Amino acid sequence: MRIPFLSIFIASPFEGLQEHAEKVKECAWTFQQAIECHIEKKCESFSKFVKEISMLESEADAIKRRIRGHLPKGTMLPVDKFQLFRYLREQDSILDAVEDAVDWISYRPEPGIPAEVAEDFILLADQAVAPIEELNIMVTEARNYFKSFSKKQRLIVKEIIHNIRQMEHDADTTEDMVKQKVFTSITDPIMVFHLIRLSETIGSIADHAENAGDMMRAMIAE
Amino acid sequence: MSPEYYVLITGYIFGFYMAWNIGANDVANSMASAVGAKALTIRQAVFVAGILNIVGATFIGSHVTNTIRKGIVSTSILTDPRLALIGALSALLAAALWVSFATWKSLPVSTTHSIVGSMIGFGIMAGGFSVINWGKLAAVIISWIISPLISMVISYVMFKCIVKFILARRDPYLRAINLSKYFIGITVFIIILSFLFKTPLGKRLAMETHEALILAVIIATGLGLLGQLAIKKFFSSKKRKADTEEIFKVIQIGTSCYVALAQGANDVANAIGPLAVIYFLVKKGTVGATVPVPIFLLLFGGVGISLGIGMAGHRVMKTLGTKITTLNNTRGFSVDFAAATTVMIASKLGLPVSTTHAAVGGVLGVGFARGMEAVNFKIIFQIIVYWILTVPAAAFTSMIIFLILKHVI
Repeated sequence: MRIPFLSIFIASPFEGLQEHAEKVKECAWTFQQAIECHIEKKCESFSKFVKEISMLESEADAIKRRIRGHLPKGTMLPVDKFQLFRYLREQDSILDAVEDAVDWISYRPEPGIPAEVAEDFILLADQAVAPIEELNIMVTEARNYFKSFSKKQRLIVKEIIHNIRQMEHDADTTEDMVKQKVFTSITDPIMVFHLIRLSETIGSIADHAENAGDMMRAMIAE
Repeated sequence: MSPEYYVLITGYIFGFYMAWNIGANDVANSMASAVGAKALTIRQAVFVAGILNIVGATFIGSHVTNTIRKGIVSTSILTDPRLALIGALSALLAAALWVSFATWKSLPVSTTHSIVGSMIGFGIMAGGFSVINWGKLAAVIISWIISPLISMVISYVMFKCIVKFILARRDPYLRAINLSKYFIGITVFIIILSFLFKTPLGKRLAMETHEALILAVIIATGLGLLGQLAIKKFFSSKKRKADTEEIFKVIQIGTSCYVALAQGANDVANAIGPLAVIYFLVKKGTVGATVPVPIFLLLFGGVGISLGIGMAGHRVMKTLGTKITTLNNTRGFSVDFAAATTVMIASKLGLPVSTTHAAVGGVLGVGFARGMEAVNFKIIFQIIVYWILTVPAAAFTSMIIFLILKHVI
């Protein structure tokens, strides 16, 4: 039996958004483990991590498609539908960047990251992953804002966005430092190319998190 | 026993069936937001809706019943008692059939529209197109278009007010407690007014308009203040930290009762309008233009509705409990208030509007105020399509049944 009054309610895209953010977080954690494992040498489970990340990415992809496919024309949301899609795209790009990074590592036979810069790459990875954890909190808090419209709640979300921006900046600084160090301490041109490109890919993880934060800022604009 | 009595018994059966259907299908309108926002449990909602539909139908309902019976179709067709009897019965059968079909096929059909359509069909068969009061019909159709819009505006304004005066403030919880008297007061005010105007109860009191207004204001103020006190006490006795939504949860219990009351008042006519015609033809031989609908018929309809709620309500509530997960109490309150007020006003004006449409309008209003996480606007077009289909379909069915019955009886 279908009740006409009920067909007006459809699944909230924000639930999907939160699920998606959750997947992104899991993926980021796996990435951190993968990098650490890779650097530690004798890493036997790196390919396992790569597989896991690719699985998480495809799961998140399914969530993304579900959100996009289930907002029919004429759906009313607290935010503009396309703002939501743009936000989702940025959040999804984080996954792509993570996947790119681990794939890039796996293209080269071990050891991919030499000991001279190992510490720096671990730092970079940590800093790139940090804003992603904030992102997850941001989605929850933003959802609370759309429920309450309270100014206090809005400030909380803005604060988180500010933090994300700061973290991205930190990651950027580290990325510059890592690049410099690669150029000064590594001489093998293939190695240099591999490491520079890797640092850029890892850095872009934080970039996409920042972009997502900016999109959220637009969504909560009064 | 004369054949008329068989017709009366059949009339009772189908009138009851219609009432049952209203209860089973439309219970979602009054209780959906309350159950969805978890202000009431399913069991409580079924119980409250059942009782209040009976009260609404019995004490506020009579005015609409009169209009469906003699407003759209001219009383001139009622001069031949035999034709009138057959007509009223076929109208009832046609509406019941159409509603059953709609339930079976899961079509968003309004019982109100079905009965209006089948009454038109009967009118055309009994007296030709001239007996239809087209002006009155146009007014009814316009009310169908306007009622969701009015409900939408009311809920939009109500929700915006809640956001502006409570949610967006520094301490929304305190603001909600302080302002709760107004929200309770306004709701009580409208309920009292609808009781006082044009109900059997109100007529007995025989009050002037300004007297009624003054009385309503006094009672509303009193109950508003009392309600606020009760809420204060209720929340101060609880140790844990309560939030704004919790306060509206309490108020929302009141407004969902209000919807159930309005629904009973408005929808009972769909079931017992034609039954009242049959009843008078059989008992008195004629139907006068000014015969009031006896209160026991209204009660009969109300009981039918609440039985429908009792028997099918559980299943409906379960579906909606899982479907509406994102509705919270401030939204639910706005939707309930808008829907009930619209239906009450329409009911007082004698316009048979659909409670479903008023409720849908209420949800869309909050949606426009950006208060819903996701609401599908498109459903309104689907409702319009079936709405346009229902009237001619019910009319046509009614005509066919009329032809058959004319040969049988």
